[in-house]
Amino acid sequence: MTHRRLRAGALVAALSLVVLASGRGVAHEGDDVAAASPVAPRFDPPAPGTYELPPILELAPHELLDPKGEHAPLLGLQPGEAALVSFVYLGCADQCPMATAVLQQVDRRISERPELAGRVVLVTVSFDPARDRPEQMGRLARALAPRGRWRFLTAPDPTTLAPVLEDFGQDAEELVAGAVPGARFSHVMKVFLVDGDSRVRNVYSAGFLDARVLVNDLLTVIEER
Amino acid sequence: MGHIAVAVSIAVAGFVALAPPARADEPCQSPYVQKLVGQEDFVYVWTLGIPGVGDGSDKLVTIGANPARADYGKVVASVSVGGRHEAHHAGFTDDRRHLWAGGLDSSAIFVFDLASDPAKPRLLKTISDFAERSGGVVGPHTFYPIPGRMLISGLSNAKDLGGKSALVEYANDGSYLRTIWMPAGAEYGYDVRINPHLNRMLTSSFTGKKNYMRPLGELLKDAEAMKQFGNTMVVWDFHARKPLQTLEVPGAPLEIRWATDPRHEYAFTTTALTSKIWGIFRKGDGSFEAVAVADVGDPGKVPLPVDITFSSDDRYLFVDTFMDGSVRVYDVADPRAPKLVHERRIGSQVNMVSQSWDGKRLYFTSSLLANWDGIGGDDEQFLRAFGWDGTSLTPTFSVDFRAAGLGRPHIMHLGSMGLAAARGGDAAPGPAR
Repeated sequence: MTHRRLRAGALVAALSLVVLASGRGVAHEGDDVAAASPVAPRFDPPAPGTYELPPILELAPHELLDPKGEHAPLLGLQPGEAALVSFVYLGCADQCPMATAVLQQVDRRISERPELAGRVVLVTVSFDPARDRPEQMGRLARALAPRGRWRFLTAPDPTTLAPVLEDFGQDAEELVAGAVPGARFSHVMKVFLVDGDSRVRNVYSAGFLDARVLVNDLLTVIEER
Repeated sequence: MGHIAVAVSIAVAGFVALAPPARADEPCQSPYVQKLVGQEDFVYVWTLGIPGVGDGSDKLVTIGANPARADYGKVVASVSVGGRHEAHHAGFTDDRRHLWAGGLDSSAIFVFDLASDPAKPRLLKTISDFAERSGGVVGPHTFYPIPGRMLISGLSNAKDLGGKSALVEYANDGSYLRTIWMPAGAEYGYDVRINPHLNRMLTSSFTGKKNYMRPLGELLKDAEAMKQFGNTMVVWDFHARKPLQTLEVPGAPLEIRWATDPRHEYAFTTTALTSKIWGIFRKGDGSFEAVAVADVGDPGKVPLPVDITFSSDDRYLFVDTFMDGSVRVYDVADPRAPKLVHERRIGSQVNMVSQSWDGKRLYFTSSLLANWDGIGGDDEQFLRAFGWDGTSLTPTFSVDFRAAGLGRPHIMHLGSMGLAAARGGDAAPGPAR
């Protein structure tokens, strides 16, 4: 049995592996699940401040590249502020755009909430630094036309990015070219709520990524001070 | 970048699809975990040690499950954790890279690395202070991944070893986060399952450590002890982690399975002591009702329903009954009127069942609890695999866990080489057949 034959067999197997953040959610790399029709969530999110969001992780400071190619802090938060951080790659066809779309909804909702405007930072970070250069991130920023503070960052190289992903517990592994049609990375799409003390206070994936919930969680964290 | 712009424009127009109906689900998995939809290569079996059998220790066993591989139906690997902890349930982390496995006696939690070599899991970490960190919860039962975290339902407490218990949350890195005690009047714990589409979490109830560690024959004769079983389920606001409603479900409601289609706003459970299938239905006002929808076998004979699995098309509910070693398959297309469509004896005893995403393959194991399993010839210990064609089960392979020196096989989860290989790892895919 040659190595090449072994690998080929394994890659065929990979085609049948769905990488999902949610079984009820959106299909992802290699998905052979039938196209799904949207069904609206059937709940009212709990009111801000009526529940607890205990710290999950503490983050170290990190520096990446902004759309001008200049070094910029990942979060740059002040006390009393909060951030939503999303890791994506621009070649991603499904879950990354979904995360970006929900962040855009949050951006719009925040702009209508004076108690949040100016106190929230949205952060979109590419985990494909080889292809997603600062200028590409800048192009995405212009397309989204943020109303509030929304940082678009990439890394100079994978080595710089690795400790950031490690710190958040965000998996992102580059796939063998062609192993999964249309996908370059294996990852679980996650969005992280970070408070002004650089602590992750909630993590969301496709099964529970709802702009109403995100806004209420931001209010819960910001107003607890 | 074009497709990003398209998606964003859709979102700006209004609703973003959060919970479309995936056609299928590995029935035992959290909706937050990565899904394996193709042919599984392995079944991971969390196994109790038996004195004098092999090394006598609890272990995670890998069984080959892909008929295209030479290791089909064989023991591929076994990693012992040392000692007997009453190995019981286990669950993947949300990224499926790790498997957390618990011991109901010692309350130890073992974290296995599956990503490095899916054929040969490696013990990565042992959490040995669960009871202390959680504020006195013992008997970690269900390991249910939520984003970045593991939600663990406990069975008991260190203070009186009774049924009062809690939900305990850990971060994926193994650090303790919080304990949420079960509400007054519904203190017992067992399973926990979330429906993200409804933001509702269901919990069920069993019994405390002083009961589940006793020999079953002795326990059944103790009328007072037999009163110490849960009779309730709790509906929670998942996001707030707050109890909303207590449902009366007499007779120890155990495993919970939500329907997969988000338009199907119900879940099933079975009661161990009263031998019934219960439907938990969302009502028009958003609250829930629990309805006994069918008997399982003859409740008068106490067949003891244990594990269940609900097919991904919401059509079939498979119910194992421990005492008669059988599985019964119900057509639940009408969830309020299940119809028995197939029944088969699996062995002298049967407890756990796991089903592939497509519903074509089912795996059964034999052990319930070390002190509850049968005696002598009634104590077969096996994994038995079957094919399901929509009408009947057909045997495919079997592994005798006692003869193989392994122990009492319990919960099963499915694994694949596929993603590891796609990532370019050197984990050997194994010889093709």
